[in-house]
Amino acid sequence: MKINRPLYSLAIMILFLIVFAILMKNMANDYILSIVSFTGINIMLAVSLNLTNGFTGLFSLGHPAFMAIGGYITALLTFSIEKKPLFLPDLPQWMVPVHLPFFPALLVGGCCAACVALILGMSVLRLKGHYLAVATIGFLIIVQVFLNNADSITRGPLGLNGLTDFTNIYWVTGWVIVTIYICWKIKFSSLGRSMLSVREDEMAANALGVNLFYTRNFALAVGAFFAGIAGGLWGHLITAVTPNSFSLIMSFNIVVMVVVGGTGSITGSITAAIIFTLAYECFKPLEENFGIYGVGEIVMSLILILILIFRPSGMFGADEPAFVLGKYKHHNFN
Amino acid sequence: MKQCLMIIILGLMSLFLAAPSFAAEPIKIGALYSLTGGMSSIDTPSLRGAKLAAKIINANGGLLGGRMIELLSVDAKTDQKAAAIGAKKLLSKGVIAGIGHSDPSFVLPSAPLFQKKGIPFVTSGATLPTLPAMIGDCLFMVPFGDDDQAFAIADYSFKSLGIKNVVVWTDNSMDFTKTLSRFYKQRAKEHGINIVLEDFFMMGDKDFSAQIARLKNASPKPDAVFISAIPNEAGLTTKQIRENGLTLPIVSADGFDTDLLVTVPGKELANDIYFSTHTYRADSRPVVTKFVKDYEKEYGVPPENAFAPLGYDAVALIADAIKRADSAEPKALKNALAKTMGFKAVTGEISYTRPSRVPVKGVSIISVKKGKYNVEEIWFPNTK
Repeated sequence: MKINRPLYSLAIMILFLIVFAILMKNMANDYILSIVSFTGINIMLAVSLNLTNGFTGLFSLGHPAFMAIGGYITALLTFSIEKKPLFLPDLPQWMVPVHLPFFPALLVGGCCAACVALILGMSVLRLKGHYLAVATIGFLIIVQVFLNNADSITRGPLGLNGLTDFTNIYWVTGWVIVTIYICWKIKFSSLGRSMLSVREDEMAANALGVNLFYTRNFALAVGAFFAGIAGGLWGHLITAVTPNSFSLIMSFNIVVMVVVGGTGSITGSITAAIIFTLAYECFKPLEENFGIYGVGEIVMSLILILILIFRPSGMFGADEPAFVLGKYKHHNFN
Repeated sequence: MKQCLMIIILGLMSLFLAAPSFAAEPIKIGALYSLTGGMSSIDTPSLRGAKLAAKIINANGGLLGGRMIELLSVDAKTDQKAAAIGAKKLLSKGVIAGIGHSDPSFVLPSAPLFQKKGIPFVTSGATLPTLPAMIGDCLFMVPFGDDDQAFAIADYSFKSLGIKNVVVWTDNSMDFTKTLSRFYKQRAKEHGINIVLEDFFMMGDKDFSAQIARLKNASPKPDAVFISAIPNEAGLTTKQIRENGLTLPIVSADGFDTDLLVTVPGKELANDIYFSTHTYRADSRPVVTKFVKDYEKEYGVPPENAFAPLGYDAVALIADAIKRADSAEPKALKNALAKTMGFKAVTGEISYTRPSRVPVKGVSIISVKKGKYNVEEIWFPNTK
């Protein structure tokens, strides 16, 4: 194989994203920029959830919980030291002088989310199928209840606000590229193939020497890492994090993006995330000019139902589409 | 490519929306309300009140010699992300002021964006007293703070109802209700009222029998129960307490300012209830009666709750400041707003004289006897 097409496509896409970000930064207004940034964060969430739900076939609904962990930790680390006494008078003494710049804070947030995912995975990944979905919903609720009641650190239901708006389009683009690149590399590596094999037939995979427990835990932790980063970016984009932001509804929205795009397809997750984020905004002028609020949600639900009826495997199925893969075709199991 | 096309289409769409009309340049005010989702029953009346105020001002010839008020409304969807995007959208359309939100959790993501651009934001319904300090000099509040309304009802319970022992019920799922209980307990303790028992419930609870059983067995016997709740639980708690044969006075704050308080338990059971709220309900000041009449004429129904006049007041307050500043520049407007003294709003007089910049406003104490609302007294904060 002379031309390694996936890498080639990947390079074009990264280049396109960089040019796009620079153009946007110079031409668009704040409103468009914030929509583009939210789109980017949604791409990160969908692609990273695809790693867990799509490649490995786990059904996790706990993505917002990892976002919340990442978001709160990043927010606490970047909170300016002068403001801390005003906003958080009851903060434990040792936490007051702790302060980090944005980038390391994001990494710490992501790593904490990944560590929590590992601990969670050790107990929960022994469950199969729907039980895992229930367990991750439970985990999401535990995180929310904790955030609501740990007043001294999280300020309870009011959440943390007054964060500096570090997140801009360059940060988001950078992280989107990193997320896509890493997920892409994982998918087309031996590790990715063992993940796919776990999804397709775990007994056969096990017989071939794939360590099921290790593979699943890895998928959950990597997904959680990017969710944590996305949570940090999210918090510093809207400059506030509250427990209610990271709700079950958000978790469904991300799962919908993965399902509509095609479970296992990175291209599909990206496309679905873009369509879902932008479609809501496209309906806004309609809502505001004619006073029919909520029409965006109704139309999107209809589209979702139609896709599930006519293309139950999602837009791109489990694989990358031909225009991305080109001549480079790998046959997994068929 | 798809992404790029979408963005271009989106950009064009917003350009069309932002296209100015070419008559005398309108004064643009942005309104951020959650018209869908859980907050919609509170926020929709606010927006209707705000629209009514703009319509009346425009019908009387506008401001600054014929410039009309244009109210741009964005749905915040009871969602913080939508609130933040909505704020950016309004700012990119060149509004000179923003109004909106009835809960601090939506003010917190949107108001700082206005603050950063130096554009004033007037919240019509969020009552958290530390909001101006948290956001900055561009945030103005139309309602009183939670501390004032809690102090008002605590003073009334002590002085007029003669309460010595009280039970406190708190909705533990909201910041508003928790703050309210905290301030009530603080004032009650200052008066030497004994807090016999504290009990909790969550928003959406339907059955309060466990709390009622504890209330019955509380010792020493309580003289009243303070319930910190929002409208949905106001009627339910009252109904169940009265149905269990307890006749002790129920006291609360503006969460009880709802018709549900009488319609859910019925007129017979809605008895001996006292709550502090915005000076509006059962009030006979001319500005109130005029507002109620105008609202009924415009929408065919009486104002749904106190949030309708609060939305109306937010626009009227900005219009008043524009007149005094004789300018629609955000900076001049902000300074004029900060100097507001004795503005006669529907929900009471507004003055920004405190260092905390929470308006000094009267608080109505309303009693409900056999389903009839009556203003008992108007409480004023003690400003140092």
